Amino acid sequence: MTNPGNTKWFRSPETRGDTGCAPEFPVAPVPQPGMDRRSFLRLTGFSFAAAGAAACSRAVPSLALPQVTADEHVVPGRDYWIASTSWADGSGSGVLVRCLDGRPLKLEGNPDHPLNQGGLTASCQASLLSLYDDRRFDGPQRAGAPGTWDDVDGALRAELERIRSDGGRVRVLTPTLTGPSTLARIATLLDSVPDGRHVMYDALSCSALLDAQRSAHGVRVLPRYDLARADVLAVFDADPLGTWISPAEYSAGYRASRQPDASPPRMSRHWQFEARLSLTGSRADQRVLVAPWETRPALTRLARAVAERSGTPVPGPAQAATDVRPELHDALDSLATELWAHRGAGLVLCGRNDHHAQVLVCWINELLGNVGNTVLLDTPSQQRRGDDRALAALRDELLAGDVDLLITSGNPAYELPGLAQALGQAGTLACTSAQPDETSALADLVFPESHELERWDDSEPHAGLFATTQPTLPPLRDGRTLRASFARWAGDARDDRTLLRDAWERDLAPRRQAADEPFGVWFDRVLERGWVSLPGAPSTAARACDAAAVATALAAPRETGPQPAGADGLGLVLYPKVGLLDGRGAHNPWLQELPDPISKVTWDNHADLSPATADRLGLRTGDVVRVTIAAPSDSAQAAVPAPIELPVLVQPGQDDRVVAIALGYGRMGTDRFTDVGPQWFEGRPTVAPGATVGSNAAPFLTLDDGVLGTDRRVVRLTPTGEQRLLATTQDHHSLAVPEHLAPKGGEVRDAVHLTTLDAATVASHAGGHDSHAELWSDDFDHGLPHWGLAVDLTACTGCSACVVSCQAENNVPVVGRDEVQRHREMSWIRIDRYYADRDDGGVDVVHQPMMCQHCGHAPCETVCPVLATMHSSEGLNTQVYNRCVGTRYCANNCPYKTRRFNWFEYSREDRLQNMALNPDVTIRSRGVMEKCSMCVQRIQAGKAEARRRGVALADGDVQTACQQSCPTRAIVFGDLHDPESAVSKLAAKSRAYSVLGELNVQPSVRYLADVRNPATEGA
Amino acid sequence: MSARSSHSRVFLASGLVLGLATIAVSIEWRPLNTHTGYAPEQPVAYSHRLHAGELEIDCLYCHFGARTSPRAGIPPTSVCMNCHATVSSDFGSLLAERALAADEDREPRRIVSAEIRKVYAAMGLDDELQPTDSGPHPIPWVQVHDLPDFVAFDHSVHVSRGLACASCHGPVQSMERVWQESDLSMGWCVNCHRERAADPRITLTREHGKLQPGEHVTTDCVACHY
Repeated sequence: MTNPGNTKWFRSPETRGDTGCAPEFPVAPVPQPGMDRRSFLRLTGFSFAAAGAAACSRAVPSLALPQVTADEHVVPGRDYWIASTSWADGSGSGVLVRCLDGRPLKLEGNPDHPLNQGGLTASCQASLLSLYDDRRFDGPQRAGAPGTWDDVDGALRAELERIRSDGGRVRVLTPTLTGPSTLARIATLLDSVPDGRHVMYDALSCSALLDAQRSAHGVRVLPRYDLARADVLAVFDADPLGTWISPAEYSAGYRASRQPDASPPRMSRHWQFEARLSLTGSRADQRVLVAPWETRPALTRLARAVAERSGTPVPGPAQAATDVRPELHDALDSLATELWAHRGAGLVLCGRNDHHAQVLVCWINELLGNVGNTVLLDTPSQQRRGDDRALAALRDELLAGDVDLLITSGNPAYELPGLAQALGQAGTLACTSAQPDETSALADLVFPESHELERWDDSEPHAGLFATTQPTLPPLRDGRTLRASFARWAGDARDDRTLLRDAWERDLAPRRQAADEPFGVWFDRVLERGWVSLPGAPSTAARACDAAAVATALAAPRETGPQPAGADGLGLVLYPKVGLLDGRGAHNPWLQELPDPISKVTWDNHADLSPATADRLGLRTGDVVRVTIAAPSDSAQAAVPAPIELPVLVQPGQDDRVVAIALGYGRMGTDRFTDVGPQWFEGRPTVAPGATVGSNAAPFLTLDDGVLGTDRRVVRLTPTGEQRLLATTQDHHSLAVPEHLAPKGGEVRDAVHLTTLDAATVASHAGGHDSHAELWSDDFDHGLPHWGLAVDLTACTGCSACVVSCQAENNVPVVGRDEVQRHREMSWIRIDRYYADRDDGGVDVVHQPMMCQHCGHAPCETVCPVLATMHSSEGLNTQVYNRCVGTRYCANNCPYKTRRFNWFEYSREDRLQNMALNPDVTIRSRGVMEKCSMCVQRIQAGKAEARRRGVALADGDVQTACQQSCPTRAIVFGDLHDPESAVSKLAAKSRAYSVLGELNVQPSVRYLADVRNPATEGA
Repeated sequence: MSARSSHSRVFLASGLVLGLATIAVSIEWRPLNTHTGYAPEQPVAYSHRLHAGELEIDCLYCHFGARTSPRAGIPPTSVCMNCHATVSSDFGSLLAERALAADEDREPRRIVSAEIRKVYAAMGLDDELQPTDSGPHPIPWVQVHDLPDFVAFDHSVHVSRGLACASCHGPVQSMERVWQESDLSMGWCVNCHRERAADPRITLTREHGKLQPGEHVTTDCVACHY
C-alpha cells in the first residue's frame, strides 16, 4: 500500500516495466490495393449513379400491426415491470424484469428484496439472453428425436407402473431445489414407488460445509453469513464476492462493513487465505498464500490460537510446530488476536470442500461468539443443499446397474466427474435439459425445462423467505417446469399456475399472520412483490459445537500435496469464473465475451501459473501445455481423466505451487460461436467448427470420500510447443503514455489511487489534486442539471455486473474472439484492473470501472469535423450516430480510451436474440463511433415521467444501468449542480479525484480513492 | 492516339457528366422530404373526417398511448368494437332499414357495411358477432408517419405539455384518408423547439437547488438522438 503518485501500476506481467501499450494497429506497412485513377473514377461514377437511382423510390411501406384485443394496463411502447426471482447464479436473487410490448428486455435487482438488495450479478443479468436462445428444445425428445408430450409422459408413466409392480429403484438427481411446491411433487411421486430417493447436488459444492454443520451443530444447514456485521473477516479458499453461494448478498454486506467516510470510519479488516488470486482476494486487506493442502493445518493452527486466547482446552495432541510455514504461522497468530479482540463481530469463512476444515471453522466461529451474530443458524440459507455423499452413493448404484429409472435436472453428465459413464448405466434416463447438452445426449426421454422468465415457480432461498417466479412472456419454446412434469406423471394435468397456487394455498397460506385476508388477494400481493417472509420455519435448534467432532477434526491427518515442491508436480485448483460459473452460462455470448475480472481473458479458459513457476517451467502466456495427472489417484473407482490442452496465463498473486484452471468451458455445442462476430476475409472463427470454447476441466474434479473436490489433484504440465493467442483485454485501452512520448518519469499515470485507512484519515486529501485552470469565466447559467457519476473504488469489487448490465441496456454487440484480439471489443464500460508489486512479494489489485468521462473540456469534441460529438446543455458528452462519418479522430484524442468504433455491421442475424434489443437505444451501424451515453435514454425517460406527473425530478429517480446492477452501490449517478444530491456529496469528499486530472479536461466522473485497512506494523 | 483510347476518353467524359448530373439532381431537385402528402391506401377505409371531425371523438380516445407512452399507437381493434359492436353500418342505412322494416312489419335486419365487416373479421367474428373459424388477426394498417430509427420521439412529453395533435399531424379531422402533413424533418422539429425556447414565458427554474417542473425546450442533440 503506497501513497498516490509513487506506485508503479501495471496491467499484465508482460508489460511490467514498460508502458503497457500493446499495439492496436499493425506495425508493418499495410499493402495498398492496386487501384488506378481510372478504376477509381469508374467506381465513383457507378456509385453516384446507383445512389441516385436508389434514392428515386420510396422505401417499402411498413405496416403497423396493432393488437386485436388490448391488454388491460399495458400501453404499447410503455414499459412495465414484473417481480421475479433469478437462480442463474444459484443465489435466488430477487429481480425486477423490465418488459416492453410483451417481452422482457432487462433484468434488474429488486431493491426491496432482503437478499440481494438491488444488486444483481453478471450471470443473472445475462440469463435474459439465454431466454432468446434458438437452440432450446421445442417440445420433448424421445431417443434423440422430437416426440410429443403424450408420448414421453406415457413412456415414463409406463416405466413407473412397471417399477411399482415389479419393484426397482427410482432416483431423482437435481441441483439444489428449494421450491416447496416442486419438492412436494417430487416427494409425492417418490413415495408412490417402492424405492425412490431424491438426491441433490451442487456443481459448485458446499457439501462438506453442510456436513460439518451437522457434525458440529447437529443440523445439516448452510448458515447465513452477515458480512455487514463483521469487523474482521477471514476467508479461506472462498470467493464470496465473486462466485461463492450468494455473491450479490455477500457483496452488499461487505460494502456495509467498509465505510471509510463514516465518522468514525468503519472498516472491517479482510484477511484472505487462498492459492489463486480470486476476486475476493483482490479486495483483501491482508492476503496470504495458502496451498489447498495447507488449509486444514492453517485452520487447525487458527483454531488452537483462538482456543488459547479464549482459555478453552484443546482436545487431542499438540500440533507439530512445523505444520504450517513460519510466515503463515505469524499471520494466523495476528488474525487470531484480531478475531479475539473483535469476538462476536468477526467471521471466518471457508469455501473448501473439506469436512474437517469446515468443522474447525464452526468451532472457531463458536469460540469467538460469532454464531448468532455473523453466523446465523436460526433461519439458515437453503441456497446450497447438495449432498456429495448421496451423490457418490448414487454414482456407485448407477455403475452397479441398480437404478431402473433416473430423472435428472441440471447437466450432471458435464458437471460431475465420472457421471457421464454412470448415467449411461441407468435403466431409463429422463432429463430436463432445456437444450441439447451432455446429459440429453445420453437420455432416453427429454422433458425440456422452461426458462425462468417464462414459467411459474417458487423457491425458498432462506428458510422462511419465499420467492416467486412469474412468466414475463408466453413461452417461446414448448417446455415445462419440473413441478408440472412430476404432476403429470402422477396423473395431475392441471396447468402450472394452478399447481403453484394450490400448493401455496395448502402449505404456505396457513403460515401467514393476517389470515383474514382472502388467499387470492394475498397471493397476488406476494406475486407483485416477488417475495414474502413467513414465520414458522421449522426451528433448526442448533446445538453447541460437538467436542468429539472438533477433536476428530483437530487430529485429522494432513493431506498430501505435491510436496516437497516437486520439479514438475503442481497442485490443481479448479475454480468457477464470474459469468460462466460451472458452465451453465457457456451458451451465452454475453458471458463468454465478459472479460474475467482478474485475468481479463474472454472466450477461453487457461492454465494460470504464478510468474515464478512460469519462469521455472520456461513457459509464457500463450504457450499451450498438456495437463496430465501426475500421481493417479489410488481410489479404484476414479478413472484417470484424459489430458487436456490449455494455454498458459501468467497470473500475478498466485501461489507458486499450484496451477489454476477454470471450470465451465468445453461445453458441448459451443462451436455455435464459430460465426459469432463479423465475417470478413481476415476474420478468424471464434472457435473451430466441431470444437468447443475452452476445454472441459470438470473430469479433474474428484468425487472421493463423500466430497466433490476441486483441488485434490496433482498435475504435470507438458509444453506442446504450440502457441495460442488468448483474447485478453488486459492491455487494451491503456491509459499509459507510450514510452517514446512520455516525459522522463511520466510514463505511469495515476489512474487509480490506493491508500490506507490510516493515511486517509490523517491526510486531508487522499485523492488527487486536480488542476482547474480555466480560460473562460464561469458565467454560464447553471439552471440545468449537470449529470455526473461518482465511482467509489473502495466499494468496487470488480464483479463485472455493470458490464453485462450496460451491454443489455445499450445494445452493445458481441464481436467474437478474433475481434477482441484486435482491440475491438465494444463494451461501453470496462473494468481496468491494475496490479502493483508489494514489498512482501505479493500484488495489490485495484479495479476501476472506466466509462466515458463526459469531460467538460472534452478533447473528442474539438476534433470532430462534423460535430457528431457535442456537449449537451446538461453536461453530457453526446454522440450523434447519424452525424458520425467515422473519422475516429475522437477516439484517438480521448485520453481515457472509452470510445468504440463499429468496424463492422455487427451480426444481428439471430432474429430471436434480437428480441433482447432495447428499442430505446439506436442500433449503431458500421462506420459509426459510439460510447457510454450515461444512459441518456433513462435520463430522458425519467424527465418525461416527471413532467407527465408534474413533479420535480428527484435525486435517485434516474439510475444508470451500471449503477442499478452494482451489488455494492459503488456507482452513483446524479446532478452535480445540486449540492444536496448523493453524487455531489461524494464528489466533495476528500477521497474524490478525477482520473488524469492533470489534463484538466474536467471529467464529469469522479473516482473515490480505494481505501484498504491493512494491519499496521507491530499491531 | 489510338481509337481505343479516344473511345474510352469519350466514355469517361460522358460518365463524368452523367455522374455530375446525378449529383446535381440529387442535391438540387430533391424535394425536402418525399414523405409529405404521403397518403397510402389503408386496408379499412377508416375516415378520420367522420370520426374525429363529424363525431368529434377525441384523438386520445383511440390513440390513448399518446398520453403516457412514447408511442401514440394504432388502437387495438377491440377499441373499434367499443362502438362498432352496436354501430354496424352508417346511420343512413340503419335508419332506412328500420323504416323499411316498420313498413313491412318485421324485425329490422342487421346491416353490416363492407368496411365494418373487415373489422369484425379482424376480431374473428361474423356479422352476428359470433366467432368464426378463421380467428382474430391484426388489421395490416399501413404506417403513414415513420421516423428514422435513430430518432427518439416521445408523444407523451409533447401531449402532456399541452401541444395539440394538429400542430404536427395537421387537420386530421378533415382527412378522409390520413396523409402526412408535416415533413417531420429535423429542421422542422428544431424550429419549433427554437421558437419555444426563445419564448420568455417558458422557462425552467431552479429553486432551492432543485429543478422545478417546467417546460425546458431543449435543442440538445440527445433530446432525440440516443
